[in-house]
Amino acid sequence: MSPLLEIEGLCTEFAQKSGVLRAVRGVDLSMEPGETLALVGESGCGKSITAASVLRLVPPPGRITAGSIRFKGIELLSLSEDRMREIRGNRIAMVFQDPMTSLNPVFTIGYQVAEGLRVHRGLDKKQAEREAAAILSEVGIPAPMERMKDYPHQLSGGMRQRVMIAMALALRPELVIADEPTTALDVTIQAQILELLDRLMAEHRMGMILITHNLGIVAERADRTAIMYAGEIVESAPTAELFANPLHPYTQGLLASLPESGKPGEKLATFAGSVPDLKGEFTGCPFRERCPIGEERCTKHMIEMKEAGPGHLVRCLKAP
Amino acid sequence: MTAPLLQAEKLVKRFPVRGGFLAEKRELTAVAGVDLEIFPGETLGVAGESGCGKSTVARLLTGLIPPSEGSVRYGGRELFAMNGEELAQYRREVQMIFQDPFSSLNPRMRVAQIIGEPLDIHGIGTPSERRERVARLMERVGLPPEALSRFPHQFSGGQRQRIGIARSLAVSPRLIIADEPVSALDLSIQAQIINLLQEVKKDLGLSFLFITHDLSVLRHLSDRIAIMYLGRIVESGSRDDVLSKQLHPYTEALLSAIPSIDPQKKSRHVVARGELPSPLSPPSGCPFHTRCPYAEAICSEERPELLEKEPGHRAACHFSNRIYRS
Repeated sequence: MSPLLEIEGLCTEFAQKSGVLRAVRGVDLSMEPGETLALVGESGCGKSITAASVLRLVPPPGRITAGSIRFKGIELLSLSEDRMREIRGNRIAMVFQDPMTSLNPVFTIGYQVAEGLRVHRGLDKKQAEREAAAILSEVGIPAPMERMKDYPHQLSGGMRQRVMIAMALALRPELVIADEPTTALDVTIQAQILELLDRLMAEHRMGMILITHNLGIVAERADRTAIMYAGEIVESAPTAELFANPLHPYTQGLLASLPESGKPGEKLATFAGSVPDLKGEFTGCPFRERCPIGEERCTKHMIEMKEAGPGHLVRCLKAP
Repeated sequence: MTAPLLQAEKLVKRFPVRGGFLAEKRELTAVAGVDLEIFPGETLGVAGESGCGKSTVARLLTGLIPPSEGSVRYGGRELFAMNGEELAQYRREVQMIFQDPFSSLNPRMRVAQIIGEPLDIHGIGTPSERRERVARLMERVGLPPEALSRFPHQFSGGQRQRIGIARSLAVSPRLIIADEPVSALDLSIQAQIINLLQEVKKDLGLSFLFITHDLSVLRHLSDRIAIMYLGRIVESGSRDDVLSKQLHPYTEALLSAIPSIDPQKKSRHVVARGELPSPLSPPSGCPFHTRCPYAEAICSEERPELLEKEPGHRAACHFSNRIYRS
């Protein structure tokens, strides 16, 4: 089976007055149809910019400077803007973190959900509305015909996120990119939304890139997990394997720093220092200054990804 | 048993709400009769989802807003009857740490001024003693000495939260009220701040009221826990009782909704149905009955009182005997 998405050597940079910020530095990723891939890391690690690069929606002055992104064999980086627009929203859709700022406040819910159906499917107004109501009811919105007349501000956060999901799924995309889809929601509502996404992904065999910093969500929902640090993927593996057998010192540190990992009241594991400045050149492992097992040789040259087990990749000289 | 340091009884806070132009004035009951006690040296954790009234409780306890009804007693004295020196002492001894380290520090003040300001306000020490104290506080919270003359924007979120903690410690408080102090931080930074809070608590013998929606943080830091829903405490007790022998279906739903990295815990998802009701028109009877898997007819008619079901473990549920067993 050919992969759904293949990213190779992706580099995305932001030219700023103070220097070039290298936000994504050579990312390789591959996912199969129907698979959920989690992209995990702390703020500024490049996970959202990687996702934006797939849609070619990197905010200026950001620019993709190298690499290749193939979606079902189509090279996205060499498509014309018109062809890209046909794919965006239609075959690759996006669910954003904050539904309040990503829904248009001056149009009704119904109009916004139906819009994609009219533009990409060429349905007329009536057909698109009927279809939109069916999708809203599929994502668990009660009385969808009524709700379609509402404006975004009239809905709760959880309901708005359901509308966002309805919009993303309306055209039955093959790949959904969900950027922190539940971070703004309460835990009981978060659980509902995650169940919904799971069910829809399975029913329609859609692939999903799930971007999050919540390791609990990753452990429960993702098939594969990639950990990002300072613009690089430092480790990736099938999710169960990654949590049972983390090999990169950063992954190990992240897992140990969770309150859930410690005994109540005991000191949590932390690492010293902070993320390196991504402006300008540096060689070697970006984690070396915070790494408990780092050595002189870690600073010498770029660390290669190596295969530590079936499907388990790690970018560390000291990993077995 | 020692006397509580702070005791709130039947606290109620209603806010007037204007529905819109010419609309009738309504009232939103943010806190609907909360009793709680904080004992010397303990951490009471308060958890609940957005709009449950947990932050309003924090603001009431710091005296930032007056309650509509009820009382807060501190060392046996009524907070809302205090004035002059007594109130100044209360404000010294009860300090607050805020959620957002970006908006809770004055961007035009240098770190030394921010941390030293409470000392100035309360007129503590001579200028050189204050400088000395600020330097010690900086060291205590792990800020480098050169940070003294910098402005808040020059720091990361975690460092700013350290500044906020140093400020709250400046006047030697006895109780710190912390409203979501780690929610805005990245994972690895969150762990550092949690460790720092634990250390200060132990070293200085402080009491904490810790407000959060994150139960895994709460489990780590609290001695006792209170769970709030729509302005009321629905369950309270020791950490282990509430988190492992829960007696209220809302606590159960909240706990089961937390995604866990432990593969053993995955299967048990009791998802609370539906949405949080609006506090403007709370449901009749038990506020949770609209989402509760155990609800029966009585639940929509009669509101269950918060009662002691087991020693030190209270719950407001008609059927609490069914929860933990299930």
